[in-house]
Amino acid sequence: MAGEKQRTVKVMKEKRTVSDEVKANIKHYNKMKKLIKEALKEGPKTIPEIARATELPAHEATYYVMSMRKYGDVVTGEIDDMDEYFYYHLNQKN
Amino acid sequence: MENEVLTYDALVVGGGIAGEETALNLAKMDYKVLLVEKELSIGGKMILLSKVFPTLDCAACITTPKVSETARHPNITIFTGSEVKGIEKKGERNFEARILRNPRYVKEDACTGCQECEPVCPVVVKDQYQFDLVGRKAVFVPFSIANPRIAAIDIENCSLCGACEKACPSDAIDFSQEPEEKTYQFKSVVVATGYKLFDPIKMPRYGYGKHKNIITSMQMERELAPTRPFNTILRPGDGKMPDNLAYVLCTGSRDHTVGNPICSQVCCMYSIKQAQLLMGALPMADVTIYYLHIRSFGKGFNEFYETAKGMGVEFVKGKIGKISEKENGNLILRYDDIETGQVKEVEHDMVVLSVGILANDEIGQVFKTQKLEFDDYRYVKQIDELKRPAMTNIDGVFVAGAASGPMDIPDSILSAGSASSEAASYLAEVE
Repeated sequence: MAGEKQRTVKVMKEKRTVSDEVKANIKHYNKMKKLIKEALKEGPKTIPEIARATELPAHEATYYVMSMRKYGDVVTGEIDDMDEYFYYHLNQKN
Repeated sequence: MENEVLTYDALVVGGGIAGEETALNLAKMDYKVLLVEKELSIGGKMILLSKVFPTLDCAACITTPKVSETARHPNITIFTGSEVKGIEKKGERNFEARILRNPRYVKEDACTGCQECEPVCPVVVKDQYQFDLVGRKAVFVPFSIANPRIAAIDIENCSLCGACEKACPSDAIDFSQEPEEKTYQFKSVVVATGYKLFDPIKMPRYGYGKHKNIITSMQMERELAPTRPFNTILRPGDGKMPDNLAYVLCTGSRDHTVGNPICSQVCCMYSIKQAQLLMGALPMADVTIYYLHIRSFGKGFNEFYETAKGMGVEFVKGKIGKISEKENGNLILRYDDIETGQVKEVEHDMVVLSVGILANDEIGQVFKTQKLEFDDYRYVKQIDELKRPAMTNIDGVFVAGAASGPMDIPDSILSAGSASSEAASYLAEVE
């Protein structure tokens, strides 16, 4: 059944190849996701704390954390004592 | 496609608020309309806004009933993700148009919009419908209130893993779809192609793109909308909740140096609207608007401006020279204080550039036999602006909404009323 369902992607594979840029992008996102998940295993963190733990620039950390939040990997927690930064933690349901 | 209709009374190019209004007006008069939209959803820019000025009504709540009415009307056929490649006038009330329908790689009649395909897709690229603030998958429903609310595959970024096809419970994924170009016949054409937003990357002194806590007003619209990219209003540079925001008006408008010397008509008011919404969303925040002149010319606009002042929004008559960034991501605005004549510097933690609107003149390439004329600013030329504002230089071709010049939503709807009346009169002459 699964084999039958896959048939139309085969048609596309015969017509075009996946670019190196697309492959590199997938690899990069997976790497970022792994780094952020590792950082959040220790407990909830703010974006600057995630950036420090992963050595990512803070704007990149924001983009990836928000993308992971959109797809349910990360959830928003409390705001810090200064009312500046929210904590984010791993979605335990995943 | 079996039994496909190839002849319509009117072709409406553009599915924003003006295109929808035009199509609906004509459809209600029993004319058959083909509405062609290049994006994956109709609704234009309005469907992506937070609220509208000066009433602060929810933009989605106002526009989605019209979007649904357009989509469900039996006299309107809609092609999304499609482009008009060429229009030829063959004679009076006789236009021929070549229309390219790009494949979604998703069967429109099978997709339920369940989004089961999204989590399994391994690709994440910038989401154009959230103005790059967050990512989206290569297979995606454009946004939650999109119409049609069905998925599409961004084939350029697709890894061809086939995971979406396996995950789809309704077998809607179809990679075998091909682009389809056909010729259709029309009796009239309405151009409702809207406008483009100024890209502030063209003003390096403002540092947009380089300084991460500078965003455009459209990005702020998304941050303020219920379907926002973040959990609340945040700086994209580090996720901080801002408490001292600045608006820079006339970014890319009334500026000869960027080739757009005219006023965009809406920037003052949408900035005041956003400032009011920010005061509600972030009660502790300070909001300052740097302006040259506040143009609050419409009904209720000046009262709206006064309300913002009463709420504590600060208005500074000043021209911004340069924006630089501090190590903590805060921004230093160097500006000419017009009231005192002094050059001052002030610190804010987030800056919103109130970007102007520009003509969308791509439709010009589409007219093959008789060329569509444009005005000095590349908007569709209105040959009788005062008495018959929808008339263009081509008999049977009409213009609606911001395709003819910068205007707000109520004016776009009025303009569409004019275009549909003119088109109906033109069509009635043959009956």
